[in-house]
Amino acid sequence: MLKVLIPTIMLFPTIWLTSPKWLWTTTTAHSLLIASISLMWLKWTSEAGWTSSNTYLATDPLSTPLLVLTCWLLPLMILASQNHINPEPINRQRSYITLLASLQTFLIMAFGATEIIMFYIMFEATLIPTLIIITRWGNQAERLNAGTYFLFYTLAGSLPLLVALLLLQQSTGTLSMLVLQYSQPLQLNSWGHMIWWAGCLIAFLVKMPLYGVHLWLPKAHVEAPVAGSMVLAAVLLKLGGYGMMRMMIMLDPLSKELAYPFIILALWGIIMTGSICLRQTDLKSLIAYSSVSHMGLVAAGILIQTPWGFSGAIILMIAHGLVSSALFCLANTAYERTHSRTMMLARGLQMIFPLTAMWWFTANLANLALPPLPNLMGELMIITTLFNWSPWTILLTGLGTLITAGYSLYMFLMTQRGPTPNHIMGLQPFHTREHLLMALHLIPVILLVAKPELMWGWCY
Amino acid sequence: MANYKEAPLASRPKTLDPAEYFNLSPDYRRAEEKRAALRAQLKRQYLEQLNNPHRKELIEDPALTRWTHARTNNNYFRPTAKTSLIGGLFGVLPLFVLYVVFKTDRDKREAKIKAGTYERPYKLST
Repeated sequence: MLKVLIPTIMLFPTIWLTSPKWLWTTTTAHSLLIASISLMWLKWTSEAGWTSSNTYLATDPLSTPLLVLTCWLLPLMILASQNHINPEPINRQRSYITLLASLQTFLIMAFGATEIIMFYIMFEATLIPTLIIITRWGNQAERLNAGTYFLFYTLAGSLPLLVALLLLQQSTGTLSMLVLQYSQPLQLNSWGHMIWWAGCLIAFLVKMPLYGVHLWLPKAHVEAPVAGSMVLAAVLLKLGGYGMMRMMIMLDPLSKELAYPFIILALWGIIMTGSICLRQTDLKSLIAYSSVSHMGLVAAGILIQTPWGFSGAIILMIAHGLVSSALFCLANTAYERTHSRTMMLARGLQMIFPLTAMWWFTANLANLALPPLPNLMGELMIITTLFNWSPWTILLTGLGTLITAGYSLYMFLMTQRGPTPNHIMGLQPFHTREHLLMALHLIPVILLVAKPELMWGWCY
Repeated sequence: MANYKEAPLASRPKTLDPAEYFNLSPDYRRAEEKRAALRAQLKRQYLEQLNNPHRKELIEDPALTRWTHARTNNNYFRPTAKTSLIGGLFGVLPLFVLYVVFKTDRDKREAKIKAGTYERPYKLST
């Protein structure tokens, strides 16, 4: 763990001490090095569950894929931001990369934490760099509104979590996940216990987001600059899923009764947000709502507490992280050229950017869960286990899959096919950097087809 | 125009109607000329921008801006009987219906499992 954490902390002096000519090269190379070191975590050595050298930071099959995703994403974020941050003064560029690196540090500590309270502190700490990125470097005036919604939705959800964790500490004497997994099941039989149950989960449900409390997500994703959108879609949403998976262990047996409203909200949310996607005019907004849809499936998979549900949830989280981030990068390439997110404007791009059309095609196919990509693996596992839980869910999940395919194809056809507007001039050809960015996003997705055991969590 | 004959399924289009071109009042003609002049001005503005070799940015289309604003900023929502009915029917009712469906299905299955009569239809490890 330290072999990744210390280089990440050393990223800060790297950012502030390199000469301006080498800033982006050095930070990208440094973060790529951290990403390749983090791949060593995938070698699961211990059969006892957790791999660690100390009791505070450890990795286990649940957190390892998410940690590797986080570390992989930092060089991609820096690559993506290079173009739009370059015109700014050098110290502001350094501050921007510092925010990304600090986000990275908090996320590594969050996913690697063994004490739940440390996870909570890091969970909250990630809000601050993200808020600064959205409100300072966003592009429209609505970014202030977006930042406010993002901050207060997540904070309001997580304050009950703090109280719940403190209560848990009082009753069990420890908050270390290493110990709690062996503790006796808690006696949960009163109204107070039900509120405690809700308090434990609401923070993560808001973060996931669950359909009823998802309002912050389209605003935050749309108004954030590209690196903010990438990290939000790829990793920060998964913090919610990861937190839920960790907390579910202690929340039985109340979960059998109390989870129904949330499962229903999640499933109905898949259909509702999918339908909203079909009516969107703003490209980033479409991708944001598709994130809500996929995360609804993940939430439902986690809340029914079956092994396949958990595995499917992890797989879908990783696959969705990479693919959603790829889609945001593509949307950003269109935005940087036309300075507009309207889909009607950036039409017929296949004629002018044929190679990029291939990236658009692959990313959209991955989004609609095409076999054999891991998106399908995750979705199918969750759909199957939901069917086993109650056969009626197949109506909702099947319709949801259909609508997902619908809006993914809609996105592809709208941006790539059709007549190219002839008043759009001066579109720069695609930079190698942007092609590299897309390749680095989509090649792991394709490679994961070959070895999905890396993502299966405890069921491997 | 003189050759166009109306048929049972093909009525006379407005552009071939003689009344559009003859017997027009001078006021109407003046108004039409003004409108044509405005159209020509707008068209000239657009073509100047379109064919300007030094232009690097998009031509701003106010109609598109208005359309995207209208589509994205729905600040004009008013709760009326119709909108409340739609909201309730699609947003609130399905949640309760789904709760009833899932709960009864799961409770039936729980009862069967507790009584020992549940046969598992599939051999799944889920």
